[in-house]
Amino acid sequence: MSLYPAFARPRDLGQAAEIMGSLSTGAMIIAGGQEVMPSVNYGALMPEVYIDVGQITALKGISEENGAIQIGSFTVHRDVQQSDVIQNNLPLLSYAAAQIGGGMQVHNRGTIGGNIVSMHPLYDILPSLLALGADVDILKDGEEQRMALADLMKDASHGLGSESLLVRVLLKPMTPDAGWAYEKLKITAGGYGSANAAAIVTLDSDKITSLRIIVGAVSALPVDISDALSDYRGQAWSEHLAEEIEAKASAAIKEPLSDHQGDGDWRRAMAGVMARRAIEAAVKRAG
Amino acid sequence: MGDQKPETEGYVGQSVRTIEGRAPIMGKATYTNDINFPGQLHAHILRSPHAAANIKSIDTSGAEKVAGVVRVVTGAQAAEYIDPIPHYIDPAVFGGRSATIRCLALDHVWCFGQPVAVVVAEDKRTARYAVSRIVVDYEVTTPVIDAEDALKDDSPMVVPGWDANMIMQIPFGGGDVAKAFSSADRVVKTDVKVHRFSTQPIETRTYNAVYEAGTESLTLYGTVQNPHPLRHVLSKILRMPENKIRVHAPVIGGAFGMKMHGHPEEGLVCFLSKLIGQPVQWVEDREECLLIGAREQVHSVELAVTKDGMILGLRDHYLANTGAPSSCPGWGMAMLTGLTMPGPYSVQNLDVQLSAVVTNKPGWNASRGYGKEVTALALELSVDNAARELGLDPVDMRIKNFIKKDQFPYDSPTGLIYDSGDYEGVMRKAMDIIGYEDWKKQQEEAREEGRYIGIGVGFELTPEGGTLPGTLVAGYDSSTVRVAPDGSVRILTGVTTPGSGNPTGIAQIVADELGVRLDTIEVVQGDTTTCPYGFGNSSGRSTIVGGGSAAKAAIEVREKIIKVAAALMEVGESSVTMKDGIIVSGDKTIGLEEVCYACYTRAYDVGSVIDPPLEATAMFKPGLVRHTPNEKGQINPYPSYSNAAYVAISEVDVNTGEVKLLKFSVAHDCGNVINPILVEGQACGAIMFGIGAAMAENITFDENGRQLTKNFMDYVMPRIGDVPPITLAHHDSPNPVNYKGLKGAGEAGVGGSAAAVVNSVNNALSPFGVMMTETPLTAPRVWSAIQEAKKAQPQRKVA
Amino acid sequence: MEDMLEDTVLVNLRINGRLHELEIPAHKSLLDLLREDLNLTGTHMGCMTGHCGACTVSIDGRVAKSCITLAATLGRAKITTIEGLTQDDGTLSALQQAFWDNAGFQCGYCAPGMLLCTVELLETNPDPSDADIDTALAGNLCRCTGYQSIRRAVKAAITTTKEGAPQAAE
Repeated sequence: MSLYPAFARPRDLGQAAEIMGSLSTGAMIIAGGQEVMPSVNYGALMPEVYIDVGQITALKGISEENGAIQIGSFTVHRDVQQSDVIQNNLPLLSYAAAQIGGGMQVHNRGTIGGNIVSMHPLYDILPSLLALGADVDILKDGEEQRMALADLMKDASHGLGSESLLVRVLLKPMTPDAGWAYEKLKITAGGYGSANAAAIVTLDSDKITSLRIIVGAVSALPVDISDALSDYRGQAWSEHLAEEIEAKASAAIKEPLSDHQGDGDWRRAMAGVMARRAIEAAVKRAG
Repeated sequence: MGDQKPETEGYVGQSVRTIEGRAPIMGKATYTNDINFPGQLHAHILRSPHAAANIKSIDTSGAEKVAGVVRVVTGAQAAEYIDPIPHYIDPAVFGGRSATIRCLALDHVWCFGQPVAVVVAEDKRTARYAVSRIVVDYEVTTPVIDAEDALKDDSPMVVPGWDANMIMQIPFGGGDVAKAFSSADRVVKTDVKVHRFSTQPIETRTYNAVYEAGTESLTLYGTVQNPHPLRHVLSKILRMPENKIRVHAPVIGGAFGMKMHGHPEEGLVCFLSKLIGQPVQWVEDREECLLIGAREQVHSVELAVTKDGMILGLRDHYLANTGAPSSCPGWGMAMLTGLTMPGPYSVQNLDVQLSAVVTNKPGWNASRGYGKEVTALALELSVDNAARELGLDPVDMRIKNFIKKDQFPYDSPTGLIYDSGDYEGVMRKAMDIIGYEDWKKQQEEAREEGRYIGIGVGFELTPEGGTLPGTLVAGYDSSTVRVAPDGSVRILTGVTTPGSGNPTGIAQIVADELGVRLDTIEVVQGDTTTCPYGFGNSSGRSTIVGGGSAAKAAIEVREKIIKVAAALMEVGESSVTMKDGIIVSGDKTIGLEEVCYACYTRAYDVGSVIDPPLEATAMFKPGLVRHTPNEKGQINPYPSYSNAAYVAISEVDVNTGEVKLLKFSVAHDCGNVINPILVEGQACGAIMFGIGAAMAENITFDENGRQLTKNFMDYVMPRIGDVPPITLAHHDSPNPVNYKGLKGAGEAGVGGSAAAVVNSVNNALSPFGVMMTETPLTAPRVWSAIQEAKKAQPQRKVA
Repeated sequence: MEDMLEDTVLVNLRINGRLHELEIPAHKSLLDLLREDLNLTGTHMGCMTGHCGACTVSIDGRVAKSCITLAATLGRAKITTIEGLTQDDGTLSALQQAFWDNAGFQCGYCAPGMLLCTVELLETNPDPSDADIDTALAGNLCRCTGYQSIRRAVKAAITTTKEGAPQAAE
């Protein structure tokens, strides 16, 4: 804790690695500031050093090469929403980024990296990224490591500490025939979700060929219920199936959140409703 | 609208833009937080993390070691220099229990967030950090959180030394209640639980005190609705005469009652500035602001009804959880809830009793509606419930029981005297402008598709301009009108504005009464040194008494101008007219400036017919108020009874419990309208408060009485997408005893609109048999109600 | 390594057209920098958590909440505050005039967010629907108006801009 913090502006990943390696736990990586600053303002967080990663070009930009899409961690939500690459290849992600609360101001400053590493249960990006099977590159101990986002979340359920830097998110384009949806239940027009679900489905005529659903904002981290739905592959889509998915999604929420957004029973039920609505909308899009 | 004077007679009744609005829209208005003096110091307050505890010791040494810290003060230290905070409304005046309230706790804390110590430092960040270095040894005791628990025999006492956790019990009513209940076809009981919520202006409270040792005088700049009464309070706390204290309220960023005084920080910063000899500022943060709540009441309304819906009697013994004692006027809201029963209904057999309970939650402050919003919620939910029980249309039942328009002035069973009204007309107009019958059709069609649209109505009677005997809540006010030698006009008035536009309303009135152009008028408010003594902003009073007193002063000044003009033109006074600053007699015309200059400079010839300067101070005291108790010991503290009807159209998603509002209407009787666009702004703002209250805004505590609601993520207020289109109509029945027939327009609507929302949701869910009478109707709560109704009535075919 | 740590940070900010070279402490929010160091008090503190929008400014043409923007991260940036919307001679912008004429504010405390978000909305979408307006202003809380007059003011400003002349509202 320091009243008079220092400031570091690494110009590249090498310098970032060097600084991160040399500092104790009192350092704080800052990008858009949307997650860090409220705690700073209320004195709950008093970093000794701010590491401003805004100068590092490797963290910026969206690119597509040989069917691989890279999103620098310092890419703001607004750019994720509006990028042609994302809109054309990952419409689910573009849509989910537009559902982030806090208004235009937060869309303009908040970064995809910040949204991921905070691992806030109510945030909007993780369910879609998990549904899309995203990988991430992490700079840690001076080296970049690539891992599945799902694996990172198993390790780091309380957020990525300041000894690691999320460099970029890697994604494969959705197939053009994939149906997708992101459903978010929220209390007010500007606000946080109380339950959400991202779904991607592919159909062969009316038969399901692949199906992924991630449910968020109902437990500490998003829950991937895709495995529980594997039996539906090859089955024809029906209203009955939607009902079953609703029940399975609810049942998958073992430890529901209970907070200002709503109590656990409701959250568990809403996990089902959102999953059902997401898959229904995704099927409609695919069909 | 615009700079040009409208084509009609006069400014009153026109939607002119606010004269005070230019600075704020430029970002150039000076709010208290924008003021910064040389040598400015900053205070941060250590607050109790416990709801109830004894303070065993406080170690401030850690804070004192922080560089930049100027002074650390504990409650015990402060008590050597300053006295307790006088109550805005002392319960003792009404025979209740009165607690001693200090700026900083002495040896005991009675709520979470209570100020315990304060650090003054060179910057706010250092002050905040140093506060975290203070160590307090608390002996935590068992808190009392619920009002019901507080009244149990074995409950701990919130206030040491009291023999009950009760400010007071007050009965309201009269008639033969027992007979009404025994002769009724049915008694319908409705338990209405209203939760704790808050006004939360976007500008938090801020105080900046400047003590001048040379003159032994003090100026407090602050977010203050009532500068003169606060000056009195400060004089008592600080042991200083009132004439050495100046209270100045710059532009205020919304108030809604929260900036009425009695807050510990007001006296505290003044004391600190005096102690240290430098300006001291305190800026409330949002977490602190959210400590101030109100309105938490539990009602059990019994309506004795005939089978065709006549209400013969009403019984309601209710509890108000007013939190820990506070010097703010909030607790009085609980009193007004009972006093305003039975609202617009012609029910003379009334047995209402308030129990104003203290608990270890933070205390209340005044909140828009001042208790009358809870009356509306309790009544309007009960009437809907009764109508459903009786199988009657809820609107028909209301109209059947409304006081008729030829019954005014009307004596209520609680002693109020309603001035005027046409409640049925107001109700019907609100229904007409929203297309009530058409929505009924849409509701049926939607149900065919499995969608649940609800139509709800709510009525609110909002007495305005309140005045309580023996307190500085006064019914009258005063204004000075000054016309300068160049003919420009300055109005100084004792009323203040929280941003509601009353300076413009007052200027419109003066422009007409004086006969000058609106753009030649300036209004000065909120300064005890420059303005005449007044009581500031509360109870929808500012335009009634500010406008009324300014009009009287303007008429006096106008007479002087006319006299001198007549002398200058050598004509008879009676032939002279003045309008828009042009003075005419027959075919002679003379400019206002020429006359005004003569008034000031020719006191020994043409000006000798008047006493200069061109200035007058006048007082306006509305009628109808009765402070001398009647034979039942009742008073009527209000001159004016505004009223309004609300219709809400909502759609409920039965799978999630989400409520979406589709449309809203209000018909409003605030007497004659001075400025329609500004009145509409007040009405729509109040409706948004009602929507927020009904659906989401909620302050919650854990089982130990620690507040959980800390920011706007937790306290969910309506955003632009949450508020549906609102249609407004006026239905005015002018107050016969007030200037221009005004009734007050700023306060009404929180309860009536909240009730309309709740009734609409119940109406939407009537196929399930859902009847919710506990607010707020959050999605989880609505969803649970639907689940329970489904379980209870599995045979009912729905969805 | 130590040489990479700075105790104060040099930023070059062009604020409302004027260039400021400032040596600032690392911890300072843009809100505090504007209000305390540059006397631009039109940008307001409402919640300090990024929820209310009263602290809104525009950074390089995009609105941001200055209370949750660390000033030191800005380096070189062009910033417009509410004060920057008025012309030097005191003439209000068409949007400010529309808000004033239509009672689009009462106390004025939320005006920075309402105005600057609308400016950005109309730059990217000159003919917004009601839903577009609601989305653009979703990051701002107003406690006075009930939002009705804000929608009306935004629409009046659109009409003014289209017709190229001030439009008085009824």
